[in-house]
Amino acid sequence: MKKKSLLIGFLVFSFLAVIPHLSFGQLKAGDPIIIGVPTALGSIEGRDGWMAIQMAIEEINAKGGVQVGPNKHLLKAYAIDTREHEPGIPVHDALTAAEKLILERKPHAIALGNFRSEVLLSTMDLISKYKLPYICSIAMTPLMQKKVTEEYDKYKYIFRNCLNAPYLSMYLSGVMGFIRKEFGFNRAYIITQDVLWAKGTGAGLEKWFKENGWEVIAFDTYATGSSDFSPSLIKVRAQKAQVIVPIFDMPQSGILLKQARAMQIPALIAGFISPIACENAWKVFEGEVEGMINMIYEVGPIPVKAVPKSVAFNQNYGRRWGEKARTELSGHGPGPSYDAIYILASAFERAKTVDPDAVVKAIEQTDMDGAIGRIRFGKDHQVIFGFNPKETAVGVGFQWKKPGERVVVFPEGFAEGKIDLPPYMKK
Amino acid sequence: MLSSILIYGLINSVILALTAMGFSLTFGISGVANFAYGGFYILSGFLVWMLLHYLKFPFLLAIVVTVGIVGLLGFITYWIILLRVRGIALSEVIATFALGVGILELFRYLGFVTYEFTLPYLKKGTILIAGVPIDYQRLFIIGIGLALVLFLYFFTHHTRIGLSFRGIAQNERTAISLGIRSDRTAALSLAFGCAMGALAAIIILPLGIISINTGYEVLLIAVAVGIVGGLESVSGILIASLILGYTQVFTGTYLKPEWMMVVYLAAIVLVLTIKPSGLFGKFKELEERV
Repeated sequence: MKKKSLLIGFLVFSFLAVIPHLSFGQLKAGDPIIIGVPTALGSIEGRDGWMAIQMAIEEINAKGGVQVGPNKHLLKAYAIDTREHEPGIPVHDALTAAEKLILERKPHAIALGNFRSEVLLSTMDLISKYKLPYICSIAMTPLMQKKVTEEYDKYKYIFRNCLNAPYLSMYLSGVMGFIRKEFGFNRAYIITQDVLWAKGTGAGLEKWFKENGWEVIAFDTYATGSSDFSPSLIKVRAQKAQVIVPIFDMPQSGILLKQARAMQIPALIAGFISPIACENAWKVFEGEVEGMINMIYEVGPIPVKAVPKSVAFNQNYGRRWGEKARTELSGHGPGPSYDAIYILASAFERAKTVDPDAVVKAIEQTDMDGAIGRIRFGKDHQVIFGFNPKETAVGVGFQWKKPGERVVVFPEGFAEGKIDLPPYMKK
Repeated sequence: MLSSILIYGLINSVILALTAMGFSLTFGISGVANFAYGGFYILSGFLVWMLLHYLKFPFLLAIVVTVGIVGLLGFITYWIILLRVRGIALSEVIATFALGVGILELFRYLGFVTYEFTLPYLKKGTILIAGVPIDYQRLFIIGIGLALVLFLYFFTHHTRIGLSFRGIAQNERTAISLGIRSDRTAALSLAFGCAMGALAAIIILPLGIISINTGYEVLLIAVAVGIVGGLESVSGILIASLILGYTQVFTGTYLKPEWMMVVYLAAIVLVLTIKPSGLFGKFKELEERV
């Protein structure tokens, strides 16, 4: 009896120990290459990223698929909603959803991935357990790169091709420097969402402000889901801040502009508010977005002439999903999600296998033009962003102007207009 | 800055009172738990939005129709769900909470999750009061909020139905012996509470967006205001709203905005520890003394 128990115990243990190492990479002729998409499908970034992925897959499949060794394989994607953007959803719920997708669909790679940085950091262990090439296109914490650098062998499967928090700080500080040069402003008020990436970006920006002679009047954070920003706006008015720097990705954050207009706050709003980045925001917020300088983290949702593939992406997205969906494209996620499929397809072809270690090596050597500009990964597996789309991926700052246009005003190298003070700031 | 704090603190307080009144009417005054309140609140917002966008109703007609429909849904909810568990407080809470979660999560499932779900202002524009700019919508909120408080007081003290609500809440068996029909009164209280919640939603939601998570927050606000003020007391609701509203604005302005939500939770814990019947609660105070 004792021996039998020991034997059963040994078999169960062996099975459990082997599970993580079961190769999801086996690929026979005619098999599709499976892409897993565990993300917050209820968020605008997740929704649009998933649609962009489907579009990229349709484009590739229309040309016959991906050449892996001697055979061509079609791509197939499966998504699961991790709901991680919702307040109160615990990290392990999102992890469970991701693991369910991995075990049920047996993907060869993961695209789009986590929405919340807090979840991404935990997911990295899951990904390392299953050894799956993973390209994150939403979550922004730089701690991901730190983990990849410090424990390369464990975390080498994780890449990111969207903007991260330090690059966002870089762009925002560039915009602020430009504003100071143009208008002489030097009193800023930072308002961010109470999440890792937003606070990290705010902290980076606060440091930059102080080093560059600005006065940071306050740095407020609001819980995800908050929709009353009047306490900060009261202080903005009383302490005569000249620039409000909001950093938010929650749907409620667009209300900050409506409240600022209602309270007649005489300050320029320049930062990132996710709902205000979409083309239809002017209509939704009845023109009250006028004058705001917002960021598009990665071009594509906004077509930029200097990046021809961003124009093509934007047009094709409208054809595939309809004009309404195109005008709702979020400013963060869709471009990189679309490009992630091309990065993976190219890596599978160059590696001539779906073996994860070989694919990781191939992804590291990526050098291609995408909807977001030129795509190359750094040693820390982060796509390099900069100001010249011929050299790096790019994000842009744009200003809302009448009659509802998003005019690219930053970087200066390929700006399509100049920053104007909004009517409520002109004396 | 002080005048801004005083004015926006008052507006915040009226918003809290308005949000809590429908819940208080049902739970506090007639003793029926309606933890689906947040669900009905958000349902009202989406209903108006759909009437405006899909059926192209005029705004005022959409308001009237929505308040009517949501009131009717409250009435039906009693007969279908609450009747079977009436009198078992925990079951009432569980049944209605489940209904509320069901309503909210159904909207999430249907994709009502983006920023585009907004309601129009009753009137656009801003005026200056004591040097502080205030939009007309917030003035409407103050006006309608105060009118509803007066209505609620008059209704529960001077109308036959209102008195029957209070009778049921004080002692259901005695009320029945005096000819008050318990189930009918309870169903009406649910209908009135839901209709008041709908009206609150329609005038408060234009300040933000119709967000599903607001439904959960509304329930927390209603419970907090009710517990602090005393669930059955109209004046208690008013005072509690003022205390919580100003504390929130002061917290957001002088401490940290992310702590504003903590004010509700801290108030609930504090009041339940010191005076469980609430600052102005009368009925349970007697039980506490006994």
